[in-house]
Amino acid sequence: MSHRNTQRSHRKAVIAIASISAFAVTLTACSGGGGSDAPADGGGLGTADKHVKITMMSNDAFAETWQEQLVPEFNKAYPYIDVTIDSTPYDSLLAKGLLNGTSPSPDYDLITLDDPWTPQLAEAGVLLDLKSDAAQWTEDDYDWDDFNSAPLASSEWDDGQYGVPLRSNLLVMLYNKDLYAKAGLPEPTPELTWDQYMEQAPELVQDTDGDGAVDSWAVGLTWVRGVLSPPFWQTVLNSNGGALFDEDMKPTFDTDEGVAALQTQVDLLEYAPPGASTYNYNEPLDAFRQGKIATLFTWGSAYKSAAVDEAVTTLTPDQVGIQTMPAGSEGASAHRGIWSGSVFKNSDNPEAAWALLQWMSSKEGELWSSANLGSFPARKSTLASEPAEPWLAPVYTAIQSGFDVAADGEMWRPRSPDSNAIQEILANETSAAVQGDRTAEEALDRAASEIKELLEK
Amino acid sequence: MSVDSLKPNRSRTRRGAVVKDVISRWTFMVPAIVLLVAVLAYPLLYTLQISFSDFDLATFAPSSWAGTGNYEDALGDENFLNSLVVTGIYLVLALPLQIVLGFGIAFLLNAEWRGRGVVRALFLIPMVVAPVVSGGIWKIMLDPLWGVITWFLGLFGVQPIDWFGDAGMAMISIVIIDTWRSVPFVVLIAAAAMLALPKDVFEAASVDGANWWQTLKSISLPMLAPIIAATFIVRWLGAVKMFDVVVATTNGGPGQATNVVNLYIYRQAFQLLEFSTSSAMAIIVLVITMVLTFVFLWGSKKLEDRL
Repeated sequence: MSHRNTQRSHRKAVIAIASISAFAVTLTACSGGGGSDAPADGGGLGTADKHVKITMMSNDAFAETWQEQLVPEFNKAYPYIDVTIDSTPYDSLLAKGLLNGTSPSPDYDLITLDDPWTPQLAEAGVLLDLKSDAAQWTEDDYDWDDFNSAPLASSEWDDGQYGVPLRSNLLVMLYNKDLYAKAGLPEPTPELTWDQYMEQAPELVQDTDGDGAVDSWAVGLTWVRGVLSPPFWQTVLNSNGGALFDEDMKPTFDTDEGVAALQTQVDLLEYAPPGASTYNYNEPLDAFRQGKIATLFTWGSAYKSAAVDEAVTTLTPDQVGIQTMPAGSEGASAHRGIWSGSVFKNSDNPEAAWALLQWMSSKEGELWSSANLGSFPARKSTLASEPAEPWLAPVYTAIQSGFDVAADGEMWRPRSPDSNAIQEILANETSAAVQGDRTAEEALDRAASEIKELLEK
Repeated sequence: MSVDSLKPNRSRTRRGAVVKDVISRWTFMVPAIVLLVAVLAYPLLYTLQISFSDFDLATFAPSSWAGTGNYEDALGDENFLNSLVVTGIYLVLALPLQIVLGFGIAFLLNAEWRGRGVVRALFLIPMVVAPVVSGGIWKIMLDPLWGVITWFLGLFGVQPIDWFGDAGMAMISIVIIDTWRSVPFVVLIAAAAMLALPKDVFEAASVDGANWWQTLKSISLPMLAPIIAATFIVRWLGAVKMFDVVVATTNGGPGQATNVVNLYIYRQAFQLLEFSTSSAMAIIVLVITMVLTFVFLWGSKKLEDRL
């Protein structure tokens, strides 16, 4: 009996050791031997007999739509380029991009990059500089100067242009006109200041059906700890003339302006629905679509689902206003968020890959995407043209003014190879202030010190 | 032919048979060994290598030897230490609750009552729901504005509860969700163990006039102790990997209140690309987990030997 027990224990020990070992598997990565550069001939654009195949690593939020709708449209212009768009979760994109870029036998030719990622990949040397390395394959009529400077700057780094804007976005203010009217307040204008907005917020917490219980609140935004939360605070800071860093990348946000901006984010929780401290992206959007909040600070691309798409919203374009976020001492505010497309330096078919990006970011491609996929253009000429759908007209106006404001105030996330790490520290500390674990001042002091330490490494 | 001349031949033949036997045994074992080395040992050793190296993102491979630097960075990282504490709190709350509930429910399910087969089958459903899905479902149900639980409690005049917005409540919510998912597993093991207990011992206790409590305390629990210990170890190994439910509900918040160590290491590695430090963190967690597992196994063996 005892022998059998011992054997059983040994078996269990083996199982336990095996289980623990499996735990370590989560951190496994494969080694790479360094990437190879693009072939000099670019791999061509394919022929009827011999198609060129390219693969794009894309964020899962829009990869499927692109594959099903955008690729067939592209193939009308380039019938011999077969495009596969692989859906990749947001959290894995950067790491997978680096892995592919350094691989001697890469699986992907292109990648979609979120706003802060270009410096890291460009610094690692895995992206093609489209203005120099790919100049030979650039169409003569491809108009670089037509891009708004803010979205194009998203994929610039160290005098190189490593991408082009494919899906442009901005943090903007959506508002419910009916709830403003019920509260007896004038509709917001781009001249509305943060101080005025904070004064109005208590009045936007209302009992709209007269049953004695509050059923509508003033505001929704991302409060939960995560990379989407710090941009709101940063936008308020930027609107008052503050910046995250100086030219030498020394933190400059642990100031009175920074503390006041963070306190604004903390104070707004008081006028938000119950449970709002856990709001990420979807929760405040849902509340807005159900007519539960009067103002929503979110990415402009949410407008269609908030005001147009009857399947998911109770509101119509007539009820929903869109504009830049309230103004500080330096004017209105916005925050840039661009998905750019980039070509891997080790792609076997950089010419075809760049052809896809050129088409997507051309005026023709932008107009098609805007009308059919609801994504926003980055070109001045596209934003100045008459949109395919009437509801896009006020959106185009808000986006254009947002780009201007963002460019003036450099309202975007840190431009550094350590951008993600910086953003993570800011997310931790601003979240601690939102949760009341620290004062806004303590949180920003800690964030500044942690970031200094990070950048000195 | 003499007997003496036959001896070396026989011995050679016997030795040949032994060698053949050993070779055939190893031949059967080689695929398993190769698989284990490829799937378990290589990743583990590679993680170990990265943890003692600088990681070059340009080649996506470990480069120069960093000594214990990454371990010093990991142990000096306040947020990493906090995530270990958070994980500890979660384990201390969740494991005893799940074991007690699991064995309690199994005890009830083992009693004879109408419909227990259906209940037993229904009980297994949470076990097959993906953790991310169960996290998402519970997040919707507990939503202070739209959630069905908020609505139900409202019928009794209870104000909306911010389940995931308060540090304490968020941890409790995570424990509740994980308990909902994991208790059926404990019930399954406990029910099987209870069915396997020898009936004659209980009959003897009954003849001796032992009541329900005395039977439970003096017979059922001591006989179940090794199974309880083994179940605890299996649940411990599962619970220490907590990740999906947290990602789907709190994403580590509010603040750092539910930032369990796996989530923290994952972020360090795959979002911040700090592969060296995160590998060191993973090895530290691995060592802690192994030490505690051996302590639990030792305790479990002691319990078995006592019987």
